[in-house]
Amino acid sequence: MRRRTFLGSTAVAGGLGLLAACAPGSDSGSGGSDGGGSGPAAGDVETDPSAMGDVTLKVWDQEVRGAQNDAIEALIKAFQEDNPNITVERVSQSFDDLQQQTGLALSGNDVPDVLQVNNARGDMGEFVKAGQLTDLSGYAEAYGWEDRFSDSVLSKARYSADGVTFGEGSLWGLPQTGEVCGIYYSATKLETLGVEPPTSWDELFALVEAAQKAGEQPLVLGNLEQWPALHVFGPLQANFVPTDEITTLAMGNAGAEWTDDPNIQALTQLADWGSSGAFGDSPNGLAYDTAWADYTKGTGVLLIGGSWLGPDMEAVMGDDLRFMAPPAGADGKVATTGGTGLPFGIPAKAANADAAAAYIDYITSDTAMELIADNGGMPVLRTAELAPTSGVNKDIYEAFDAVSNDGVLLPYLDYATPSFADTAGAALQEVIGGQAEPAAAAETLQADYGEFTAEA
Amino acid sequence: MARQRPSAVVRSRATPYLFILPAFLVYAAFSLYPLVRAAQFSLFEWPGFGPSTFVGLQNYIDLASDPDFRAAIGNALVLILFYAALPLVIGLVLAAIFRRGQVRGMGFFRSVIFLPQVIALVVVAVAWRNIYAPNGPLNQALRAVGLDELARGWLGDPGAALPAVGFIGTWLEMGLVMLLLLAGMSRIPDDLFEAARLDGAGPVQEFFAITLPSVRGEIVVALVLTIIAALKTFDLVYLTTSGGPGNATTVPSYEVYYRAFQLREVGSASAVAIVLTLLVFAINVLVTRIGERAS
Amino acid sequence: MRVSSAERTMNYVVLGVFALFALIPILTILATAVSPQNGQAPGLHLANFVEAWQVGGFGRSMGNSLIVAAIVVTSAVALSVLAGYAFGTMRFAGSTVLFYVFLLGLMIPTEATVIPLFFDLRTVGLTDTYAAIALPQIAQSVAFGTFWLRAQFRSMPVSLLEAAAIDGAGPMRTLLRIVAPASVPALTTLVVLVFMWTWNEFLIALVMAPGGTLRTAPLGLANFQGQYTAELALLSAGAVIVALPMVIMFLFLQRHFIRGMLEGAVK
Repeated sequence: MRRRTFLGSTAVAGGLGLLAACAPGSDSGSGGSDGGGSGPAAGDVETDPSAMGDVTLKVWDQEVRGAQNDAIEALIKAFQEDNPNITVERVSQSFDDLQQQTGLALSGNDVPDVLQVNNARGDMGEFVKAGQLTDLSGYAEAYGWEDRFSDSVLSKARYSADGVTFGEGSLWGLPQTGEVCGIYYSATKLETLGVEPPTSWDELFALVEAAQKAGEQPLVLGNLEQWPALHVFGPLQANFVPTDEITTLAMGNAGAEWTDDPNIQALTQLADWGSSGAFGDSPNGLAYDTAWADYTKGTGVLLIGGSWLGPDMEAVMGDDLRFMAPPAGADGKVATTGGTGLPFGIPAKAANADAAAAYIDYITSDTAMELIADNGGMPVLRTAELAPTSGVNKDIYEAFDAVSNDGVLLPYLDYATPSFADTAGAALQEVIGGQAEPAAAAETLQADYGEFTAEA
Repeated sequence: MARQRPSAVVRSRATPYLFILPAFLVYAAFSLYPLVRAAQFSLFEWPGFGPSTFVGLQNYIDLASDPDFRAAIGNALVLILFYAALPLVIGLVLAAIFRRGQVRGMGFFRSVIFLPQVIALVVVAVAWRNIYAPNGPLNQALRAVGLDELARGWLGDPGAALPAVGFIGTWLEMGLVMLLLLAGMSRIPDDLFEAARLDGAGPVQEFFAITLPSVRGEIVVALVLTIIAALKTFDLVYLTTSGGPGNATTVPSYEVYYRAFQLREVGSASAVAIVLTLLVFAINVLVTRIGERAS
Repeated sequence: MRVSSAERTMNYVVLGVFALFALIPILTILATAVSPQNGQAPGLHLANFVEAWQVGGFGRSMGNSLIVAAIVVTSAVALSVLAGYAFGTMRFAGSTVLFYVFLLGLMIPTEATVIPLFFDLRTVGLTDTYAAIALPQIAQSVAFGTFWLRAQFRSMPVSLLEAAAIDGAGPMRTLLRIVAPASVPALTTLVVLVFMWTWNEFLIALVMAPGGTLRTAPLGLANFQGQYTAELALLSAGAVIVALPMVIMFLFLQRHFIRGMLEGAVK
């Protein structure tokens, strides 16, 4: 009897709980509604930081490498001196951690005011769709950002409000730095091998073989995180595939094929490098940051990767470290992955959106570009005039300039679809490790891209 | 019986319930209720914001043909070998040694082998990532003894990554299993061993005739604890491989997190969570049953 | 019992091998923690700890961990004492069933509850608070604590309660004056275990406070790992810092760790 009462009462309590709790989501207080975050109109925007009262601005970024970190810290210091009523509370974390935690953070209640968001459909695109970012169009008008930045730069941070169209629509973030994937080489190692920096891809392939014969590891890659291989494959792909097609594939627009011959040739070249040991014993087991640290200690001849690595590696290697844009690709022009650093956006629920916009305006201003250059980074604007006269950054600036003006800056391949970062990361890992044939990997990539473009 | 007071110092029948109430409320609200909610979530399709769609059991049906989920379950089964079976063998040997031979410095050995249990898994991950790195201590050691063939990037090699993660589990759990078994073995009366020795039993016969049968209960407990630990390896996987390469090291608990907060498939994640819970319950019951039958 | 010297040697060899196996990863990380960073001169670099402490913000994250642990330990122990007291010393209807409901809590995996906890606490605006990190852990620890203390209180002689009754003590006074003081070892064990679980908890801290301001020590270290993969020395120093409090506690309170984890598991 008593026992039954007890069971009965728990059942009632449980049932009540179930009733009280509606279906998930219908009562949830997250961000916007059915997609499409909104933002203020230009007229409603406060652009005078001194009128904002005392503000503690929470900023999340991933500028953790030496030069970038120095630049951001210098900028924050200067920003706070100019605006004593604003205190910047910065949380910096690695690209991987930021990417892992942004989804969760944006759906929580305690969102940062400023946040670096990857341009990809899987990141920015999804957040826009979820209504978790602020539409910056009003701020752009108020601050004149469209005059400051070129259309092509801004287009990489534009999505339609439903997150479906990438490349046009509202503005969701502003980049601060420029990036280009290219080839680092050790001058002394090339000298020892008796070769010049490659002027064509064939020369580069020959260089790889020569280095291997000489008992050197030709290429350095740490691909434990899966995405680093994209920065090798991107430039390599441009040697086989026309730039238009790569852009179509990378932006997730319909009309291209991952399974065509040029793409399979590119994947095959990557597979050959993997199986021949050109990347060392186990690139897939090596962490990205360990790889470049190893490179500075003398492992390997070439390192294909992003310009952001330059300053940190130069700190150890000095003048021995050089950088070059990849040789001209299939179109006869220099084409490589690159563009801008991750754009800074404002979460929809940010408590201090106006102050956040003022911060973003500050760190993308002309003076900010100088500070970035002074600290050894590469600003996205005024790159040519701020170019240093020596060191690896001289090479990097020149390469960026050459690719932007005379060549093609290709979008990062993971922009393509919401799941493409995972798909491509895993596929390239398998190609390098020899677990997947190039043709099979191409099928995998095509399946993701094809499914996405068929829906859109 | 019904008239009896709850205890010598308690008169009112309501008192016991009042004592239990605070604990029960917290426990029910933050453990039981969320479990019910997870079951409810698993019937919906929901990205974590906006409206949700009721889909019935579709999330579960999808799981049946989901390669990542099947990989996760398969990997978990492999991990059980490393987390439960291997530590059990090691633990039996070590505990038997402690029980049988007078070991000087027993306290020292015991503490050292148990030590991994108290270290945060994040720290464990940092330590082992370094050990497994392509130029890390493990490969250096292999190369030093001429086993260059075996050297590899352990966590990035599809064949080696799962055993590599599993081996960390062996390292973690062996101390706990050893101590559990030792506690059981210390309850075996010395006379039994003396008698066996008078009959001329060596260490091996003695182990199978006396020691092993006496610690069945502890073996069951050790298996339950370590199997559940194997199924729940979230921290280690998150921090060493993120489930990769491919899905070579993903496990159900990692799938829960990944689906809910990375893929924004809250319903599917909840379905995995419920399957995981049922699996834990089932293994508890199953292992306990087997233990009861054996004794 | 006597064993042959050959067997004894064998025993030491086996024990030595496994002790070494247990220690090598720990020694490796200790050695790495004092090794030179990239580009530094060889030698013993104790300054790594200072630098890791500052760069990794471990003061803050360990402070958060301490606060969370303090909340969880005090609440969980207090609630468990009350519940365990009722289950262990009182007869009442439904006690068996209720006790099994608590036992169930030992089996519910955090992974299963963390999703609804995040979304439901978000709805009521509780994510990114100490409460959000602490409450789910209190719930788990209460399930164990109740079970643990019930066994402890049950083993106490009934005469103690009867004596208290003759003195006219009520249930609360008996608990505080007689039952609890007689159970100090069991309570210490419980405190030690709950503290360890809370200090080492990762998933709940990761999910329930995505805002980043309440990062606990393990999360702080995870982020540190992301940023300083290349600076292995610094990273290892950070790892040692995070592990140290538990290791020190273990060395001093070994008995409690071992007893708690054994008896808790067996019964």
